Amino acid sequence: MTKQPINIIDCDVHNSLRSHMDLVPYMPDAMKRRLIESGTGALYSGYYSPVGVPRKDATPPGGGPAGSDPGFLVEQLIDQHRIDYCLLTGSMYDASSGHDADYAAAIISAYNDFMLDHWIGKHHSFKGTIAVSTLDPHLAAREIDRMGPHPDMVAVIMSSAARMPYGQRFYHPIYEAAERQGLPVMIHPGTEGAGSTNGPTAAGYPSYYLEWHTCLSQNFMAHLVSLVCEGVFEKYPNLKFVLVEGGVAWLPHLMWRLDKNYKALRAQVPWLKKLPSQYIREHCYLTTQPIEEPERPGDLITLFNMIDAENMLLFSSDYPHWDFDDPHAILKAMPAEMKRKIYYENAKQLFKL
Amino acid sequence: MNVQFVAAVEEIPEGQRKIVQVGKRSVGIFNIRGKYYALLNYCPHYGAELCKGLVSGTTMESHVYEFIYGKDQEIIRCPWHGWEFDIKTGCSLFDEQVKAKRFEVIVQDGQIGLILGAQSKRE
Ligand code: FES
Repeated sequence: MTKQPINIIDCDVHNSLRSHMDLVPYMPDAMKRRLIESGTGALYSGYYSPVGVPRKDATPPGGGPAGSDPGFLVEQLIDQHRIDYCLLTGSMYDASSGHDADYAAAIISAYNDFMLDHWIGKHHSFKGTIAVSTLDPHLAAREIDRMGPHPDMVAVIMSSAARMPYGQRFYHPIYEAAERQGLPVMIHPGTEGAGSTNGPTAAGYPSYYLEWHTCLSQNFMAHLVSLVCEGVFEKYPNLKFVLVEGGVAWLPHLMWRLDKNYKALRAQVPWLKKLPSQYIREHCYLTTQPIEEPERPGDLITLFNMIDAENMLLFSSDYPHWDFDDPHAILKAMPAEMKRKIYYENAKQLFKL
Repeated sequence: MNVQFVAAVEEIPEGQRKIVQVGKRSVGIFNIRGKYYALLNYCPHYGAELCKGLVSGTTMESHVYEFIYGKDQEIIRCPWHGWEFDIKTGCSLFDEQVKAKRFEVIVQDGQIGLILGAQSKRE
């Protein structure tokens, strides 16, 4: 691991609760008993991974789940890899996989309060993301307006696992609130195929975690096409959207195919005033982890050059999860200027750091 | 032959491992059914501390929908991205060319020694 001096903003770091009991003091009384008895209500897909989700060396020495001890997170991630800022993404957005919109909204509000009390301010590198449930976008908008003014909250985060594509009007209150608060909206995978969400792949339910994890990109592709075609970026011209952990290398295909189709089919979406790829370039960002690893590392750079990726990518490590990317070990073939933007500049501007 | 003695045999019972420092190198010593093996504690993927991973067996090459457990105690799984390596050969299970560096081990007078310097031969 050669360590060149480079500034780094890590856009996906999973802080964790020690246990769901951490949230009890922040829950409305009417829902406390449910939390104590049954947990956060997030449902998981049930796909088994032989590797497990947390990185095996990330369990804090004092016990508790990986990512639950701010001090150890600073030691193992921030100090060791020399990270300037990290976006704490948590995983409470997973609560959108449940069925009960009010409970999901309450648990997520409780989590946002917990994060403010127990994480934000504990280290100068920590920046918060406001988790929201997508089950009721009006409640999500209320949460964005409640938390948005806090200076250390730099984005909104929600699950990429959803009931329907994210461009649809049902979700627009979220985008309206995020734009009002000047916050980018991030989506993150985790519960694809669980609870109230759609099947995890376009073809249905595969057998293995290997397939589940590989096909997460499909879901991101469908959300991105929907966001563009339903005119979200025309309706909310200042909205920025970040696709976290959904892969990167599929983007040229999607842009080219969507542009080609648009030239023939634009009459269906007359509100679009530019080529679809142009909206993607102007409004969307993708995080790098888990970075694709072609046999010839230079191929990835060639592909980045095809789509102006140096202005659209944001470095992320996904610490402390199993598919963590070490900023100093990956993307060695990347030219220095491209790296500077992807590791630092793009995120600095986007999140106003 | 440059031999460095790094542990007494009693320190590493069967099924156990010990990570030792040999100069600048961190090395994992494994006892698999009474024989000792050593791997550099550095994963050829992105350099994680490989020897701290889970030791187990794994599923052997098989026909479709057939599961054959084998190599019990002989596989180490990297604690970062989960790549599996054969402790006896250092080879990864997905490509023999992707290898963790291994060292020859000798046992003399109850002491476990690593043969350093010259490239160790594959089994
Ligand atoms: S560093 Fe060992 S599998 Fe990636």
